[in-house]
Amino acid sequence: MSDWTDDQILAMLRRALEAADPVPETARRAARAAFTWRSIDAELAELVYDSAEEDVAGVRGTETARQVAFRAPGVEVEVMVTHSGGRRIVGQLVPPQSARIELQTPDGNQITGTDTLGRFSFDDVPSGPARLVVRGDDVVVVTEIVVI
Amino acid sequence: MSEDSVAELLVRAAEGDQRAWDAIVSRYERLVWSVVRGFPFDDGTRHDVFQTVWLRLVEHCGRIREPERLAGWLATTARNEAIRALQQRRREVPSEFRFDLPDRVNPEAADVLIEGESERAVFRAFAELPEDCRHLLRLVCADPPLDYRTIAELVGRPVGSIGPTFGRCIKRMRQIMERHRGLKPSNGGSR
Repeated sequence: MSDWTDDQILAMLRRALEAADPVPETARRAARAAFTWRSIDAELAELVYDSAEEDVAGVRGTETARQVAFRAPGVEVEVMVTHSGGRRIVGQLVPPQSARIELQTPDGNQITGTDTLGRFSFDDVPSGPARLVVRGDDVVVVTEIVVI
Repeated sequence: MSEDSVAELLVRAAEGDQRAWDAIVSRYERLVWSVVRGFPFDDGTRHDVFQTVWLRLVEHCGRIREPERLAGWLATTARNEAIRALQQRRREVPSEFRFDLPDRVNPEAADVLIEGESERAVFRAFAELPEDCRHLLRLVCADPPLDYRTIAELVGRPVGSIGPTFGRCIKRMRQIMERHRGLKPSNGGSR
């Protein structure tokens, strides 16, 4: 035992961890299913602002809604996430324009339309990774993934 | 499928080949798990973090510039997502927030799962190490391997400290193994 080399110990530890703490089957399935989020012909809207990244050092931002903004050429997607009761997303396209908005989450997708001012909302949003797909008259935009 | 290069798999995945994607997942899932395991999450959050890492890779798989560094990219992404999740949890439930005990794999239960007496002995010693050692050792024995620079980023310490810390942790582990071995014959059921 004492004449095992470090590498031998590590190899045994690797095998032990694989057996005692395997990647759960549900997690493995989720990783494979992630592939369905491959976006084909959409423009990527990059995350340009996230209030959740601001108050890092223990500042209590609990009460306030989280603000997130994405930018693609020609359109910005501004979003507010609140969670009093269920999680809710309220958003707006800037400049205002009508579009169909799809909220994608691993639990399923919801689709809604904007009003004439480009506003939209989703109720009962599950926690976890999510993104929005915006289908306007001449653009399809997909936002970066955020975890809500 | 076994030895396709990562670069090739990424290209095929970006073109829509699910089998190439699955091959990437099975090659790297263990690595991502090893990183996420180092954080004190409940099962649900751990699942979300793990899943988000793969969603981010889907988002990026056509644009990974150095495929040979995919292990490092995944590990770093996993760490960033884990830290973000920790911050979010603290914000949402600041008062009730409590850590799940990280990595409390029950050694008795593990004994049933692990094949090989040597592996069981190594794991029993591992289970007694402090969390920082366990985290580091999990990363050092990750497969595919991570370089020290990446490991240093993951644990938030200077590169130069990784070798010595590793040395200290593995020495401690050897001592625990010796102690266990000393206990066993004279005192069969000791824990």
